[in-house]
Amino acid sequence: MTLEIVNVTKTFPGFTLGPINLRLSDDMILVLIGPTGSGKSTILNLIIGLIKPDTGSIYLDGVDITKVPIESRKIGYSFQNPTLFPHMSVFENIVFGLKKGDKRLKEPQIKRLTESFGISHLLNRKINGLSGGEMQKISLARMLVTEPKIMLMDEPLAHLDNITKNKLRINLRQILKKEGVLGIYVTHFEDDVYALADSVSILTNGQIKKTDTLRTMLSTSSSSNRSLSFLSSSLSPSISEFFQGDYNYLEGKVTESKDGVSAFKLGVHRFEILGDYQIDSKVGVLIKPEDIILSLDLVKTSARNIIRIMVMNIGNAYSKPGILDIHLVIDDIHLMSRITRESKNHLGIKEKEYVYAIFKATAPHVVREGKYDAVDV
Amino acid sequence: MISDVSFMNNIDYSMINFKLIIWILSGLALLYIIYPLFSISTFVEPSTLLTSLTRPEVIDTFVLSLITASISTMLIGLFGVPLAYCLSRYKFQGSFLIQIVVIIPLVLPPLASGALLLGVFNPNSELGKTFPEIEFTQSVIGIIIAQTYVASPFMILASMVAFDMVDKSYENIARVLGKKNWHVFIRISLPLAKKGILIGFMMTWIRAIGELGATLMLAYNPHTISIQIYEDNAIGGLSQAIPSIILSIFLSVILILAYSLIVKKLEGSSIHQSMFSFGVSGGNK
Repeated sequence: MTLEIVNVTKTFPGFTLGPINLRLSDDMILVLIGPTGSGKSTILNLIIGLIKPDTGSIYLDGVDITKVPIESRKIGYSFQNPTLFPHMSVFENIVFGLKKGDKRLKEPQIKRLTESFGISHLLNRKINGLSGGEMQKISLARMLVTEPKIMLMDEPLAHLDNITKNKLRINLRQILKKEGVLGIYVTHFEDDVYALADSVSILTNGQIKKTDTLRTMLSTSSSSNRSLSFLSSSLSPSISEFFQGDYNYLEGKVTESKDGVSAFKLGVHRFEILGDYQIDSKVGVLIKPEDIILSLDLVKTSARNIIRIMVMNIGNAYSKPGILDIHLVIDDIHLMSRITRESKNHLGIKEKEYVYAIFKATAPHVVREGKYDAVDV
Repeated sequence: MISDVSFMNNIDYSMINFKLIIWILSGLALLYIIYPLFSISTFVEPSTLLTSLTRPEVIDTFVLSLITASISTMLIGLFGVPLAYCLSRYKFQGSFLIQIVVIIPLVLPPLASGALLLGVFNPNSELGKTFPEIEFTQSVIGIIIAQTYVASPFMILASMVAFDMVDKSYENIARVLGKKNWHVFIRISLPLAKKGILIGFMMTWIRAIGELGATLMLAYNPHTISIQIYEDNAIGGLSQAIPSIILSIFLSVILILAYSLIVKKLEGSSIHQSMFSFGVSGGNK
């Protein structure tokens, strides 16, 4: 499966998108991130055919689909709003996209998807009274049951509460991978990138500034911090305003899991997190810079994660006077700690010196679970 | 305007009994509607009422009105609902003008509508000469032509508003799910606009039943109930028209009851909300 967008442009009064060039293949998930009004949804609308490009073409497996009607494109689309048909039951919604004869044939697939999303018990319910999370799961299942070649997702989880959003996001990535669907996920939340992306495109003012795999982006983002916030500042001042470096992302292999606490390894370093995870599986976690405290000495503390790490760089936190971002690095691990200038002066933290970075097992927030891949190390 | 506002602001509202004023005004409005209904008793002898009601010409006109109004409503539905869909969904140069044109029969005095129709359908018109075997005037066909013309705006406007209120995302999603336009129209657009369209049917039928002006011009004969009332009153005075009037009142009550039952079944909203909001049964707008 290959999707190619070649020199696509679209002009609206006061806004021009493109020229956009993108090439996606197989079952990768591309997260298209950018500020509101940068043209993210327009790109999805062009791919699905809701709007026509002024110039350029869109190819699916080498076939030009630019003028193909929406209903013949075999592309799934999940809106920010679940848009379930209010006059149908949950089951009728899910099978709506199937042809009459297919409903029986696809029973196993319907069962598998509804179980994966945890909505099997809702099938006979009416749409009225369902929660936002349930509706979004049904909406995604309804699309996936038609076996689309590509799944376009326009911030489908934006309106959900954080707990539901996180669970569904992990679930969604696993299901997309299981179904082998190429996905494009549009968002303006940085954490969605870490949770879902194989590749990332950063979009601003109608232009794609950079597209690469998440791994490459993070490893080349800078010597001092592996987060998109740092990368973005080199792309455009307007993006650095958008990514304010709210997260550290770490990814490793689960080595222990007991009594609601698991440990994962990243190189020779071991980190503890809350929750039971399958041994040898992969977890990706986000840690807020504010949750990482620094110490000059190895102190006895209840915090379960302590790592000796070098201060790479000290800089001002974006638009936060009096707050400093301390960029830390050891081996392949890059962290950012956010502390006050007073703390930094009090401790006498200097660049190129070593400190202890400390955070509790409750600080990391798991956003990605999956099969461990040796390349990930 | 500014002085109006300051005048309103200077009124001491505490001195005015709000409830009393509202009740008085409401009572007068209600009296205005109810009093003529009860005034019938002053024009009719109870002993002769039953005989008058069962007069063959009264029954015949009543039945003819029911049948012609039903046929007219179906015809308007068949052509008017697709037109309403077009006006709601396809915006093109001149679509605004078409929206104005479809309202004309509603605004035009019915007699004027009848005169225009007579110009088109009289036996000496192009249409009349082309189809000499068809009696377009002074016939049941003539009644239907008059009714469809004057009642069509109700169907078209109600349906158009109903389609407007169906969130286009539902149709887009249905198409993304692989459904072609016909399927989307029948499975999504129509069911979601159902309530507004049914209200359109009801109002169209009510208008067709009560039609007089255009029918007078185009098909005085055979008599519909409206023409019967008009003629009875002209020949024998109000007391002769009373049986047809009573049947009309009876029909109105039945219609209102039927209408409220349909509305209740559809969504449980009140009759007033449904009649004037043309709400659809869809959820997210």
